[in-house]
Amino acid sequence: MPHLTLILFVSAAIIWIVIRKLVLPGLRSKSASSTASASSKPRRRIIKNRGWVALRGLTIASLKMYFRNKTALFFSLFFPIVFIVVFGSIFKNTSASFKIDVTNESKTVLSTQFRESLGKVSSFKISDVSADKAADDLNKDAADLTVTIPASFGEVQNGKLAESKIVAHFNGAKPQNGAAAAQIVQQIASGFNDSITKTPKVVSVESSGVSTKNLSYIDFLLPGMVGLSIMQLGIFSVAFGFVALKTTGMLRRIQATPIHPASFLAAQGITRLIMAVFQTILLVTIGAALFDFHMGSSSWVPFIILALLGSAVFMAVGFGIAGWAKNEDQAQPVAQLIQFPMMFLSGTFFPRDGFPHALQVVTGYLPLTYLADALRHVANDGASLWAVRGDVLGLVVWGIIAGFISVRLFHWE
Amino acid sequence: MGTAALLEVKDLRKTYADGFEAVKGVSFSVQKGEVFGILGPNGAGKTTTLEMIETLRSITGGSVMLDGLDVQRKPYEVKERIGIQLQSSAFFPNLKLVELLRLFNDLYAESTDPMELLREVDLVDKAGALAKELSGGQRQRFSIATTLVNKPVAVFLDEPTTGLDPQARRNLWDLVKQIQKKGTTVILTTHYMEEAQILCDRVAIMDEGKIIAIDTPEKLINQLLGRGFKPHTKVQAATLEDVFIDLTGKELRD
Repeated sequence: MPHLTLILFVSAAIIWIVIRKLVLPGLRSKSASSTASASSKPRRRIIKNRGWVALRGLTIASLKMYFRNKTALFFSLFFPIVFIVVFGSIFKNTSASFKIDVTNESKTVLSTQFRESLGKVSSFKISDVSADKAADDLNKDAADLTVTIPASFGEVQNGKLAESKIVAHFNGAKPQNGAAAAQIVQQIASGFNDSITKTPKVVSVESSGVSTKNLSYIDFLLPGMVGLSIMQLGIFSVAFGFVALKTTGMLRRIQATPIHPASFLAAQGITRLIMAVFQTILLVTIGAALFDFHMGSSSWVPFIILALLGSAVFMAVGFGIAGWAKNEDQAQPVAQLIQFPMMFLSGTFFPRDGFPHALQVVTGYLPLTYLADALRHVANDGASLWAVRGDVLGLVVWGIIAGFISVRLFHWE
Repeated sequence: MGTAALLEVKDLRKTYADGFEAVKGVSFSVQKGEVFGILGPNGAGKTTTLEMIETLRSITGGSVMLDGLDVQRKPYEVKERIGIQLQSSAFFPNLKLVELLRLFNDLYAESTDPMELLREVDLVDKAGALAKELSGGQRQRFSIATTLVNKPVAVFLDEPTTGLDPQARRNLWDLVKQIQKKGTTVILTTHYMEEAQILCDRVAIMDEGKIIAIDTPEKLINQLLGRGFKPHTKVQAATLEDVFIDLTGKELRD
């Protein structure tokens, strides 16, 4: 995985630059002071790494505060867990298997192969029935999906394969099941199409190209929830935590100590990054333990790197709000205004496929969409960071925009 | 003697962005080991003056030298040498007093024993309490403990006794005297004249951004009497506050 190494290297470089920029100024002032003090008064101690000591102290303090602040903990941790448990339970059985009625009206080899491909999908429970029986099952809720292979399927007319349509109907009352099953059928069909158009003469359909992994709703939901919790952590907890420090005067008290203000910001950021990793591991573990969430062990590293990247992007937004707002009353509506649309439009609870085309295009550019899509791709398909580079780039661009704006808006008082 | 002053303020000025002149050319010096009071009514410019000295507010004009350092040029070095108690003392929520003192230790890269600091301000039994659980007097005492973490050459106390009951106020005076006894210079603001008279070696009286008088309390009183001043009421041997303390006792109520 050369690309992963590259990305790790780049992130390490970025972290190093940040530390140099933020922490070393404190270090320098310390060493400068020891020379200055020689003239006036010898100092009691020489501590070289004061920046580190302060950074560590502040990070430990804010971690403690974080775990003791029950409200913040609830909003950033338990909400996503509750969502996972509730939605995971509701849809747990629905997607474990799909009941599918197949009516094969064709007698061709291709139709038989298609029927066999359907049979290979482990989550499909297939019954071969007549068209009437299928319609009846669908009405009585005895089938999630009916698939009709028309008589013309796979027939050769004038040396070419006849165009034919496989008709799939699903139960409108339980669309989440039928739609998912229909999508798998469609993938199988397009796999057939590809193989046929590319090699017109061979009617071999060995590789249907369909993922037969038994992906269920939890596999869709959980990466979205991880993304959501990271957004909450970045925007809400940063904006509120920081504004609270501002209004109570604690920030000013910190400024009265020789610590560089940027070290204080860095400590806040490091705390959130640690929390992001913690939350991500917690949510994935819950999903895997209770709801059979699938994630390969090799996906952990890119998954967590994405979580860190997303967390950095949303923290930039949070610090922007915190730096701009004078009090909680100002921070609250702005944070909500940014968070709420993304919560529902970024494909965290349900796919964006159902959106009108224009909305799909627009929501595709949201930072949470990039994060959720990338996390899902990595978790579900074992994709590498390089494979989701489009989403990573999107996040980086958002991070730069948010970072620029928050530096512009930031003021300490 | 013959040593330079610990704090030398020369023609210090502050004009805010809206054009308001809060401090209009203030000069004074504070010797090492002194308790120096800045007195004045609300809005006189006491806090602004203090915050400029503490490097927390930008200086419009003039200069401040503290322990041989120009506060405008070396703000971080100055902050390492002083302890600052702000008027509104807020602390991280959800952290215990010991943990807060440990944090302040880290911020100064120091390792002063938190319990020792708490003993100094008589809060040992509150070591595991949160700052928000303290009474007004306790909070002020804790706030002073945080200023002592770095063994400062000078501590700045901005209205340390405002809002405290007479018992807590007297208790804090004892603390200030105790700090002075250890050789630390104390610069405080107050609008209680009795407090200034008891605590301060010298006071500066500020009004409308200017120092209108500066001397020891005794000399200022003698000067006034010398101008032929007669009090409006007959001088009594005791005040109502003496009565209050006599009746309610000196023990702290927090």
